[in-house]
Order: sequence, then structure tokens, then C-alpha cells
Amino acid sequence: MEISIRFTREAIVAPPEVLPSREIGACLEFQGIVRETEGGVALAGLLYEAHEPMAVLHLERIFRQLSSAHPCAAVTFIHRLGWVPTGEASLFVRVLAAHRGPALRFMAEAIDRMKADAPIWKMTKPE
Amino acid sequence: MQIRLLAFAHTREKLGFHETVVECAADESPRMIVSRLAPALELEGLRVAVDFEYQDWDAPIGAASEIALIPPVSGG
Repeated sequence: MEISIRFTREAIVAPPEVLPSREIGACLEFQGIVRETEGGVALAGLLYEAHEPMAVLHLERIFRQLSSAHPCAAVTFIHRLGWVPTGEASLFVRVLAAHRGPALRFMAEAIDRMKADAPIWKMTKPE
Repeated sequence: MQIRLLAFAHTREKLGFHETVVECAADESPRMIVSRLAPALELEGLRVAVDFEYQDWDAPIGAASEIALIPPVSGG
């Protein structure tokens, strides 16, 4: 499986879609967007930080484990750090697979496991 | 020996630093080291990572070079 994991302090721009083979039948993209309210409180944005090398290690492990159960050809993961204004994307994930079933399951479980174990944090105050 | 201690998010704010270097011994656990450095810090709800891997608070650090205090994560 091809794995690309990147953190950025700039607005997320979806990378060009490159199909690793002619056997790709599903391209699934997810963006996490900063909402206007968090716990009922109006926000101008969220402040993200991460333990980057540890996050990369754990995300790569999560993706490899999930790929055994839900075969996928590639995953591109981009997480924004620093101040992310309301309405902008904090997370972009693209999964490529031969079939939609594994791609959908991979995506759902990957995000759940990221939220459980990847050392990434959001806080409600600006830098 | 010395070990790098990292703090993130709300734990960083409570401690007032992101990174510091601590004198310690290989047979000490993260709990012993952190409690000595910051006795008022409540460890309940915090995970600890030693050299990028989640570890038991009471396991000896051995030859590790980094301890990271991991408050509840919230990526995405």
C-alpha cells in the first residue's frame, strides 16, 4: 500500500489524483471542516498541534493494519496544524482501492483510530 | 542520564513548557520522573509515550531518549 502522511501549516490543497494502477475502481475523499460551534460555543477557528514524528509512526501503523483487513492501494493523509479558521479544512484523507467496500471501511476505521490514538490536538483559543 | 520531556496542548499550558531535559535513571518510570519534576500535575487521564510508543506509567524507561505527555487526543 502506498502511504503518504503530511502535516502542514498552510491551507490544505488536495494533491493531484494519481492512480497507481488501472485496477483502481474507488477513489474516496474525506475532509474534516472546522465548524462554527464546538460544544455550543461560537468559534472563529481551532488551534491544532501534534507530536509529528510520533503521529506519523502511529498513523502509518494504523493504515498498514487496516489495509490487511480492507485492501486498499493508497492513502493520502494531510492534517493541518496551527490556527485553522472556521469553514476551512483541518483534515484531508484520500483512499484509493479496487472496490468501494474496502475503501469505505478503511476510511471510517482510519479516522476513528486517528481520533483515538494519533497524538494530535485541537484547542479553542488562537495562537 | 538525561531524557527529553515533551508536553502538548493543555498539559503544555499547565506545565509552562513544551520541552525540557530531565536528569533521571534507567530504572525510573515515567511516573517517578514526571512526579519529581511536576508534583502538582494530575496524571489521571494522561497517557505517556516513551520514544514514540505508548507505555505504562510504571515501566522503567531504560535507555529511552524521550518521554511525551499525551493528553486526550482530538485530531481531525
